Parts: sequence; structure tokens; C-alpha cells
Amino acid sequence: MTPLQFEELYAPDWVELELTLERHAAAPSARSISGARFTALYRQTCGHLAIARSRAYPTHLVDRLEHITAQCHQLIYQQREFGMAWLARIIAHDFPVAVRAHGGYVITATLLFLVPTLVMGALVYARPELILSVVSAETASEFDEMYSSSATSIGRLRTVDTDWMMFGHYIRNNISVAFQCFAGGLFGGLGSIFFLAFNGAFGGAIAGYLTGRGLGPTFYSFIVTHAAFELTAIVLAGAAGLRIGHSLLAPGRQTRVQSLIAASRQAVVLLYGVFAMLVVAAVIEAFWSSASWLPASVKYGVAALCWIAVLAYFTLQGRRAR
Amino acid sequence: MSEGLDTVVAVETPEGIVLELRPAGLVVRFYAFLIDWVIRLAVLYGVAMVTVFMGGIGIALWLIIAFACEWFYPIVFELRASGATPGKRACNLKVVMDNGLPVTPAASITRNLLRVADFLPFGFGFAIASMLLRKDYKRLGDIAAATMVVHHQKPGPQPVLADVPPLTPAITLTPRTQAALIALAARAPRLTEERLDELAAIAAPASGDASRSGSRVTMRVLGVAQWALGKRA
Repeated sequence: MTPLQFEELYAPDWVELELTLERHAAAPSARSISGARFTALYRQTCGHLAIARSRAYPTHLVDRLEHITAQCHQLIYQQREFGMAWLARIIAHDFPVAVRAHGGYVITATLLFLVPTLVMGALVYARPELILSVVSAETASEFDEMYSSSATSIGRLRTVDTDWMMFGHYIRNNISVAFQCFAGGLFGGLGSIFFLAFNGAFGGAIAGYLTGRGLGPTFYSFIVTHAAFELTAIVLAGAAGLRIGHSLLAPGRQTRVQSLIAASRQAVVLLYGVFAMLVVAAVIEAFWSSASWLPASVKYGVAALCWIAVLAYFTLQGRRAR
Repeated sequence: MSEGLDTVVAVETPEGIVLELRPAGLVVRFYAFLIDWVIRLAVLYGVAMVTVFMGGIGIALWLIIAFACEWFYPIVFELRASGATPGKRACNLKVVMDNGLPVTPAASITRNLLRVADFLPFGFGFAIASMLLRKDYKRLGDIAAATMVVHHQKPGPQPVLADVPPLTPAITLTPRTQAALIALAARAPRLTEERLDELAAIAAPASGDASRSGSRVTMRVLGVAQWALGKRA
């Protein structure tokens, strides 16, 4: 069979396939496409491509068949499930299950964050001048101002005072920190360890300094509620980073790249949850934590509920019913 | 094909055919990045022109949009049907999974979050090093997410072969030789006359004109190409 005969004989099928692809591209949700007819044509065209290649038919013919089959292949085998059901499954099941599945990494990340926080906090509390090793003198005095009992809105300077603006600032800043903790894992986990410890030490130093200055009550009542979401989210991002770092260092019976791909696929579920938690944290931090008119007892009460809710969610949600 | 020289990645489908993916290199991806960067800058500038008159709420809106542009711009566009950001689309690029399928949400999020690591130590140093060292031009995020940025071009229109009378070949032609003759005929309009004659002289044995050359021989060789396509006198 010559190329011309081949083309003449089968071109109607290819045109039908091309038209179907166009119709789908124009209206992806249309139900007018017959799946059985489409897949039958696809398989047939795959055969044509194999024949055209083995008989070394003209390039344009092979190119056309390659293009058609590649598009069909993408359409038939694509895995694109997102939407409300996907989101609901992540919240109700995938995220908390992933947190428990990464239990060891979560504990390690928690320690990597918490130990520098406590050590640095105790050091700065004992010797306040050490705060200057972390921040400049001006920044330190800004912190004094932010948490002074006379502040109209806790946790921010008088010059920046709208809740919405701070929401934008917090969400950008916190998510960048969390994503750094994750991405740093790509360097054998070293980046995650560094960012976790650094952020822990920084926070600890500020806490120790403010406690030493007698501003503890305002400071702790400010941070305690959103910390339930913010600090856990950062620790979880760090845990995801440690996971991919570990997969590179100890790939087991896989190649390093295979091991990294498998670990990333599982660790990224943690990131979905981290993102959601940081949005919640930013809302609380901007609109609730900063309100100075709320009595501290109310804030501590709400904070306790938040912490219990977060911890219960991680430990109980998504378990199989007995 | 020419192994070692070509960067084509072959992917086998369940139907047993091999699809060829052509990974995109550093330079074209840099252009795509540049276009995306300018688009994002323009959007942020345009938004700022409006929000600057809105006070605190305006700054908040701008910060949130800036944040979304930074992290979600690539993800949102990659998960659309085109599988590419506007910059990539302008450069005829597309993000696909290693097996040639459209990029999944998890993979798109992974590759875009890991851009932070690619950026280190400065100016996308690791991304550039990784892309230059690897045959499939993956940056670190692509490696972890099992994705690839490939050239995505529609096949050109069917070439118009010069209308010469078909000529029965003088010797038996293997399929490979026939394909080479047809390819030569398809390229003929883009070659200078002298170069076409030179190339046709190599193929001259096919038309029984071995060790001869000139425009008459070229016509005869092109005639054999028509025959190989299936035209008969």
C-alpha cells in the first residue's frame, strides 16, 4: 500500500477523531461525545501510527498521527479530579491521615522548632541584652511598643493599623516561611532543619525578651490563639520537608529520584492542609488576636478550644469506623 | 533515532505505541519565565493603580493579590486545559507528567512550591545547574514532581510537493530510502536550486542517473518521490 492509498483509506477516521478532539476542547463537559466510538477510533489510529512508522511513511503523515494519538492519550488517561468533593475528602480524611502517617517526622520537626524556642527564650529572659544578637535595637523597641499595655491594637505598630492590611501581610509572610520550611527539605532536609530552628529561635528570643520586660501577659494573650494554627502549620511544613529530605538520604531499594517522587507525592498532602491552616491563622491574627478590648480570659478560653480542636483533628479525624 | 544526540523522551502508552516528548531547554524556558514575570508585574502595577485610592483595605487587597500572583499564578494556569502559563503558551511550551499525561494538581503544586529551592543560592542557581546537567532539562521541582516542560507544536500543514510527473524507480527502493526521497521532495521548495541539485545527485541512482547531476536529474529524482508517495503515471 502506498502512502497516498493509506491516507485516502483512513483519513475519514482521523478527521472524525480530530473533530471530536476539537469539540471536546471547545466544551469539555459536553456529553455529546461517544466514549466507545472515541476509544475504538483511538485504538485504530494507534495501529495506523505503528504501521506508518514501520513502513517509513512520509513525515507529515507520521506527525499528524502522532499529534492525534498524543491528544487522545492525554484525554483518555488524564487524572484530574478536583472540585468540592476532592476538597472535602482532603479535609475529612487525607490531611489528618497524612499527618499521622508522617508521625515521626512531625515529632522531629516539633522538637527542631520547640527546643531552639525554649533555649533561646530562657537565654534572652536571663540576659535581655542577648536579644540584640537576633534583632537590631530599633526592632526590639518596636516590639516593646507593639505589646505595651497602652497599645490600641496589640501586635502591631500604630502606623500600620487596619486589620485587613495586616491580614494581607500575615498571610504572605507566614506562607512564605512555611513553604521555605518545605522546599528546604530538598537539600537532604538541611534547609528544613535550618528554617525550623531559625524561626523557633527567633520567636523564642522575642518571647523571652518581652517576658523579661514584663509584657508577657499582652504578648501571650496575643499569640496563643493563632499559634494553634500557625505554629502547627509551620511544623507540618517542616515535617513535609524532612520527609523529602529523608527520602533523598535513605532511598532504600529505589533510586534517589524514584524515592523523592514517591515521598513528594505523599508529603504534598500536608501542604494542602498547611495552606488552609495558615489562612485561618492569618484571619485570627488580624481580626481576633489583635483586639485589645477583649479580656484576656476570653482569649485564653478560645485559645484552649482552638488547641484542643486542632490536636483532636490530627489525632482522631479520618480514622476508619470500628 | 540518533541516540545520545537527540533529547527526545520516548513514552510508551498502554496501546503499545511510543509517543515522543521534546523537553524544552533553558533558553526557551527563560523567555517563558520572562513573559510571565512581565505579565505579573503589569497585573500588580494595574491593581496598585486602583487600590492606592482605597486606603488600608486597598493595601490589603494588593497584598493578597500579590501573594496569589506569587504562588498561584503558575498552578492555576498549569491545571487548565492548555497546561501552560501564558508565557509558556507564547513559547509553545507545556507542562506534562513524565508519562506525557496532563499535569496533576499534586504535581503542579509540588513543582511550584519547590521553586523556592530552585531559586537558591541566588538567581535560580540550582534550577539552572540542574537544567544544564540533565538531558530532560528538569529543574529540582520537576524532578520531585515527576513533571517535564515540553515543546508543544501542532504539526505544520501538509507540504505541497512540486508537481512533476511520477517516474518508476530504476532500482528497488527500501522503505527508508523512499521516506528520504519524499522528505527531500518536501524540502525542495525551501532549498536553493544549486543545493537541491547537489542533494538530488546523491539520490540519483534511484532514477537510474547514477553519477550524473543537473536540473534534469533533479526533476527525475523528484518524479521518483512522487512514485514513492503512490502516484502512478
